This record gives sequence, C-alpha cells and structure tokens, in this order.
Amino acid sequence: MTDLMTPKTPQWWKKSDVKKTFILWIICTAVIGYVGVEFHVRNMVDPASETMSSVISLMRIFTWAAAPVAGLVSAMSLTVLTSKRHYGDNPPAEADHEIRNSPKTAAVWVVVSGLLCLFALVGGLVVLQHDNEAILDSKAIQVNVTGQQWVWNFDYANGARSEDLYLPVDKPVVFHITSVDVKHSFWVVQMGIKMDANPGYITETAVTPNKIGVFDVRCAELCGLLHAYMQTKVHVVSQADYDAWLNAHAAMEAGA
Amino acid sequence: MTTLTQHTSTAPGKSIIEKLNVFTALALGVISAVVVWRLSLAFLPQDGEEVRLFSREDKITLLSMCAWFVGFMTGIGALVGPMRWVMGKDLAHDENMFLAGENMGPKRYFRYTTDHKVVGIQYLFITILIFFLGGGLAMLIRTNLGTPEGGWLHAQAYNSIVGTHGILMIVGTIIMVTGPFGNFIMPIMIGARDMAFPRLNALSFWLIVAAAVPLIWGQFIGGITTGWSAYNPLAGQAPLGMDGYIMYICIFAISTMVAGANITTTVVKMRAKGMTWNRTPIFIYGTVASVALALPAFPVFFLSQVLSAFDRALDTSFYNTAGGGSGWLYENLFWIMGHPEVYVILIPAVAALMEMAPVFTRRPLFSFNIAVLGIAGISGLSVLVWAHHMYISGWAPLLNAPFMLTTELISIPTGMLFLVLIGTLWRGRIWMTMPLMSIFALLWNFMIGGVTGIYLSDVPADAFLHGSMYVTAHFHYTLMGAGLTGALASLVYWFPKMTGRMFDKTLSWIAFWMVQIGFNVAFIGMFMVGLAGQPRRVESYAPTFNTANLVTTIGAYTIMIGMLVLLHGVISSARNGVKAPKNPWQAKTLEWTVDYPIPLENFDVLPVVTTDPYGYGKAKS
Ligand code: HEM
Ligand SMILES: [Cu+2]
Ligand SMILES: [Cu+2]
Repeated sequence: MTDLMTPKTPQWWKKSDVKKTFILWIICTAVIGYVGVEFHVRNMVDPASETMSSVISLMRIFTWAAAPVAGLVSAMSLTVLTSKRHYGDNPPAEADHEIRNSPKTAAVWVVVSGLLCLFALVGGLVVLQHDNEAILDSKAIQVNVTGQQWVWNFDYANGARSEDLYLPVDKPVVFHITSVDVKHSFWVVQMGIKMDANPGYITETAVTPNKIGVFDVRCAELCGLLHAYMQTKVHVVSQADYDAWLNAHAAMEAGA
Repeated sequence: MTTLTQHTSTAPGKSIIEKLNVFTALALGVISAVVVWRLSLAFLPQDGEEVRLFSREDKITLLSMCAWFVGFMTGIGALVGPMRWVMGKDLAHDENMFLAGENMGPKRYFRYTTDHKVVGIQYLFITILIFFLGGGLAMLIRTNLGTPEGGWLHAQAYNSIVGTHGILMIVGTIIMVTGPFGNFIMPIMIGARDMAFPRLNALSFWLIVAAAVPLIWGQFIGGITTGWSAYNPLAGQAPLGMDGYIMYICIFAISTMVAGANITTTVVKMRAKGMTWNRTPIFIYGTVASVALALPAFPVFFLSQVLSAFDRALDTSFYNTAGGGSGWLYENLFWIMGHPEVYVILIPAVAALMEMAPVFTRRPLFSFNIAVLGIAGISGLSVLVWAHHMYISGWAPLLNAPFMLTTELISIPTGMLFLVLIGTLWRGRIWMTMPLMSIFALLWNFMIGGVTGIYLSDVPADAFLHGSMYVTAHFHYTLMGAGLTGALASLVYWFPKMTGRMFDKTLSWIAFWMVQIGFNVAFIGMFMVGLAGQPRRVESYAPTFNTANLVTTIGAYTIMIGMLVLLHGVISSARNGVKAPKNPWQAKTLEWTVDYPIPLENFDVLPVVTTDPYGYGKAKS
C-alpha cells in the first residue's frame, strides 16, 4: 500500500485518500474472502473422499489468497467512485496532475502477482502428487468403467458386472476407463474425481471413498441425445456388504 | 464522379462491377447450390454396404455448401478485381472510387464496398444481428432449464440450440470490437485514408455473410448437436447439420485470416507521420494483438474442421481410433485455436476501455508501457496454455503440471491490465458516463472471471469442476462480463463518430444496469449449480439444482430486456438523437478531428502526430 504514495509524485495521492483506501482494503478483503469461501464451500457437495476434501480446502486457500488482490481493486474502485463525481454533457476540468506511471507500484504489483501464482502452483502440485500416488497403490481394488451412449457399465475383478457402482469404504480403488462409442466423462461428484472415457483408450484415475452412503455418478462430456440422463449411483458400503454383493453378482454373471 | 454519371446514363452498358450486389450474390449462391445438389444427387455413387452411415449425404451436402459459397462470393463481386488483374486490366481509378461507394447513398451497404467506414457499419449490423439470434437461442435454453425435468424442447433440438448459441456467440464476440470499431475507427485513429487492402476488407465482411448461410441451413438438416466445440468422434456421428458447422467455421476462418493480415498491415505501414509506436493509441495495440493472435490460431481451426469433414464424407480416420486416428488429435487442434481465441475476444475489448479511461478521467493513461507489456505478455503466453482444457481427457497426464504453470503465469500480464485501468481511474476526475461505469463493471466481472480461471487452472480442482456449469459461468464472466461490456462501451463511445448523433444517455444507463445486474444474477446462479455438481450442456437436471437454475433464468431475462433497451437506443439515437459535436468527449485521438459525415478518404490533409493522445492533466490544459 505504501507504495502507492510514491514520494516522487506528491500530487498523486492525498493522505485522506490513501487512508480511506487502506481501511476499505481491509474491509473488502475480509468480505470478499469470507463471502467467497462460504459461497464455494456451502455450494459444494459434502465430500465423500479425501480427494474431495482437499479440493475444498484448495478452494478455501485460493480464495483467501486472491482476496487481498480483489480487495485492493475493489477498495481503489470504491475510493474513486465515492470521490467527487462529475455529471453532465461536458467534460470535467482536467485532473490536477499528469502522472503517467509509477515504476515502483508496477514492480510491486508484478512481484506480488508472481508470488501468488507460485503459491497457487505449489498448492496444486502438492495435492496432485498426493492424488497420483493412489493409482500406484498395489492393494487397490480395480474396476473397469465403460461408457456407452447413455449408460455406465462397471466390471469387477471377479467377473461381476453392474450399472450401479459398488465400492467398499476406506479402500483405494483404481478405475480403468474407456468408451465403446463417443467420448464421455466419468464424474463421481462427491469424491471429486473425473476422467474422460475415450473410445479405444484406457484412462485411469483413483480415489479412496471414506464415507458410507449413496453418491452420484454423472457424465460430464456432451455425448449425444441423452447425455443429461447418463447418470447412475455409487453405493459405498462396508467391506462385508461389498464382499457379499460382489459374490452374489459374480454368481449371477456366471449363471447368465 | 464524372464516370459515375456517365455510367448511369448509359445504363445498358453498365459494367459488371456496377451490377453486382447482395441480391445477385444470393441468387447466384442459391442457383449454384441447387445445381450442384442436383448434379451430385444424380452422379455420386451410392454408398457401399460397408461404408458408414450418411457418407453420401455428407458429400452432397458439403458439395452444395461449397457451391453456395463460391456462387455467393462470385455474385457479390469478390472475383472482379482478381479476374481483371489476371486479364491484365487492373481496376481504373473511377472503378475503385465506385467500389469505395462514392456518392452512392445507402446502396453501398449492400455491395462489395471497400470504404472502411462502410465495412465498419456492415460489421456493426451483423454483430448486432448475431447477438440477437444467439441471445434468442439463449433464452430458449434458459426457459428449458427453468424447470428440472426438461423436455420442453426435444433433446436433439436442445443440444442443437446449445451448439448454435455457442458458436454464434463466439463468432459474435470475436468480431464485436475489431469488426465495427477496428474497421470504422482504427484507420482514422492512426490517420490513414483507408485500410491497406480495401478489397480484402470488403472480402472479410462478405465472407461472414457467406458463412452464415450454411449455419442456418444446418439447422434444418439435423442441427449442430455437439456443442460449439464439436468434439470428435461425436461430430462424426452427428446429423448432416454438422456439415453446416464445418462450412461455417472454414469460411469464417478465412475471413478472420484475411482481416488479420489486413489490419496488421494497415497498422504497421499506414500510421500517420510522427505516430511512433510510443504515440500509437493503446486501442490500436489491442486490435493488432487480437488479429495477430488470430492469424496463427484460425488456420488450425480451419484445418481441424477440414479433417472433420474428411472423416464424415470420405471415411478417413483422422479422429477415429478404430481406424488409427484419435479424438485427442481433434481436442488438441481445437484448443490450440481455442485458447488464443478467448484472448482474441478479450484483448481489444479491454484495450478499448483503456482508450476511454483517460478520456473520462481527464488524466493520462497510467503506465502505457505496462499496458503494452500486458497485452504482449498475454498474447505470447496464450498460445502455450491450451491443454488446460484437456487436463482430464487422459491425453497426457504428465503434461498437466507444466500446463498448470503456463496457465497460472497468464495471471501476471492479466494483472498488468488491471493495474493500468485502476491506476488510470485513481485520482482522476470521474465523468459519470456509461463507458466510464463500464470500466468498473469490467474490473468487477473480469476479477471474478480471472479468479475462477485460477481455480480451474488447478488440476485437482479442475478434476471436480471441469465439464460442470462452473466452467460455463467462468467463461461467461470473461467473454460477456468483460468482453461484451467493453464492446457496449465502445458502441456508446464511438456512436457519435459513426452516426453523427449522441447515444441517448438515459437509455444507455438503463441498458447498462439491466445488463450488468441481470448478468451477475444469472451467472452467480450458474456458479452455484456448478459447484453443487450440475454438468453443463444438459437439458434436465436433479431437482436440487432447481432454485439456482431459476435464479439464472430470471437473470437471463433481465439481460434480454436490457439488450432490447440498448437496441432501441441504437435505433432511436441513430434516427433522431441529439446531433453530436465533432469531439463530444473532448478526446485527443485523431478520429475526433474529422467532421461528420466523414469524407470518403477521411482526411484532406493527412495529420502529423507530435505527441501521444494522453496529454490530459494540469500541465497540459
Ligand atoms: C485470467 C486468466 C484465465 C484463466 C487462468 C483461465 C483458465 C481457464 C481454464 C483452466 C479453463 C478450462 C476449464 C475446464 O474446461 O475445465 C477455462 C475455460 C474457458 N475459459 Fe478461461 N481462463 C482465463 C481467462 C479467460 C478469458 C479472458 C476468457 C475469454 C475471454 C476465457 C474463456 C474461457 C472459455 C470460453 C472456456 C471454456 C471453453 C469450453 O469448455 O467450452 N477464459 N479457462
Ligand atoms: Cu455424456
Ligand atoms: Cu483456455
């Protein structure tokens, strides 16, 4: 803030202006940060995995990191807007200065935005790294996911097959995703994972569900006529229930 | 002039140039299309058993559309100049004056007219038309989404409306600043008599008209059911309407390339004496950055669609995995165009507001150098970020981190644009006009668009947000909240120079507030449903999303009313608005030094520039 008062150019600021802006800056930052975080967190679904929880905390952190910048722009705008305004068809008098730049302000501005970038990048990379590790987990359950206009099919290691997804709680699971026709996108909403289903390729993503319950699977890539209806449920159940379900379904497949 | 009277008096011998206009073009286009359609119906071999669905119909449709295109462009007179040149008889001066529309009255707007001011008005007209068509479709979408169950529109019609809305609006926003103002105002602003290539200028406009017809045609043969991005392999199985999209894009891409070469050359070669780069207005930088960015991007778009057409009509497999191709190829080509394209849209709009900022604050532009640097930085980086649209495509997971880096770096030059605008407002004299308030609106909307862009650029967060309504809200904040806001301000600001009359002040305010409030209501609602998990491009949704969708729909209707008020303002002010003085805003760029009506070649004596146009403030006045 102090930099706005570059001493070389005394006409550019009035102490009262800067003071006012500073106070507004604090207020705007607090309001934008708080409202921004609440807006995101309240509207986002309740997490059903660690992955989703970390998405929510990322949004929280990013919003607070962006708030001072957004707050400064808002505060300066408000100061300007609440200063003397001129209405009418003819222009107001010329400004009482002719300042064309302030290298220091520019430098600070660029450095700060660079640091914020770096911060966002590091935050993202840390979480990304964490997510990727799950794919390599050798104890993970493997499920094959096949998108098809306009249903999802799930194939389990023991030969079971279903259109609703069943998963045990607290066990890492790796999805191998493909499609038989056009591109779809496999989105397990409350678990915060999404991966496109491409015809002819197998893509992978992984997650560890940490809550028992029924959650949503939706298609997130326009895939034709009934794209809006290409959704199903994921049932996260206890290990015992899962085993029972799996065996029953494998037997059904074998019988069929 | 003498030749003109001479020609009209010898009516039977009228030269070909004088006979051609939009009606001959339409006629020739339709006739060519019908002839080629009948011929290809008669002579194209039937599809074999093993050939994919639609292939023959695709060939027929594409051939007929090409015939329309060639017929229309011939009929409008695009070939007259080149043909004459081939025959060794270049156009005479009188003929060039005729082409420029000298003393022709309103008729020149319906011809292959080369005067940049005519082309600017033509662009303005078609931009408005596109926005109202696209806006009408948006209202259909929002009405359908007013209730969760869908089905008010048939699912196929709904998908087609979404796709057509998208591509219409993208094209509309691409041309909304560089078309009307880049053509009408820019040459005068740099003190030139016309564009570097006046005939190419006419060409770029009429190509857009030629492109529009296949898009409309496509609506009647199955529609564009793939969304504006037309991903393959979905586009490969889409109905014949897809061929309309392909032709539309190909012709529009040519138009953009032509306009880009023309505008760039004009700015580089034709600036007034003394207008060094340091004295060149920032709007000129914005315009050049925009078209120069389009120059490499649009050939890629063109190519991506040509390959798409091959896959559909000739059974090639560029995008078909089973045949050795890949849908990922399409996605890459599309976004290599697609991300630069969003800055093609944004940069000139922001630059226009930068041009207005000193005028309405009566102080110099803050940090001209930073403004130029910001524009250059965005342009440079924007070609290196395309794969942020493909984080979760599975195409190359290892590339996610580097693309996350480049994407987040873009916020540095973007921040510079903010600094310039806010720095100019700071300690200025605030002249409350609609263009000035638009700067505040842009700061607000673009801040939301930019910050949500950072969330989206973060790979783990994007794994949740991608493909959801959140993305839709993000890009509307940037395209509409920032881009369109700048374009509407430009309209009000340059209206006096373009029509000789002031834009009605009250109407401009009403429109401004309705559009801005409606916009923020509509797209805040869209962020909410995105966060809650509603995918985009759906015709029905879970009942839990209903409230926020309804909010969005209400916001959308508010925008519509605001836009109708604005349209009313355009028409009524152009007809009987207050006569404008030569320089109503007391601005210092060159376009305000010419009288209305502006003579054919703008300046009797070409101006000589000795300072930059930002000499406001105490010391100068
Ligand atoms: C300030 C910097 C910006 C950043 C960091 C940013 C980032 C992103 C990212 C990461 C996406 C992909 C989201 C996804 O599909 O999951 C995206 C989508 C998009 N952005 Fe931005 N963006 C920025 C500014 C802009 C601007 C200025 C515009 C337009 C004027 C724009 C228009 C779009 C469009 C049209 C899409 C989505 C296209 C589609 O999927 O149909 N963005 N943006
Ligand atoms: Cu889908
Ligand atoms: Cu992008």
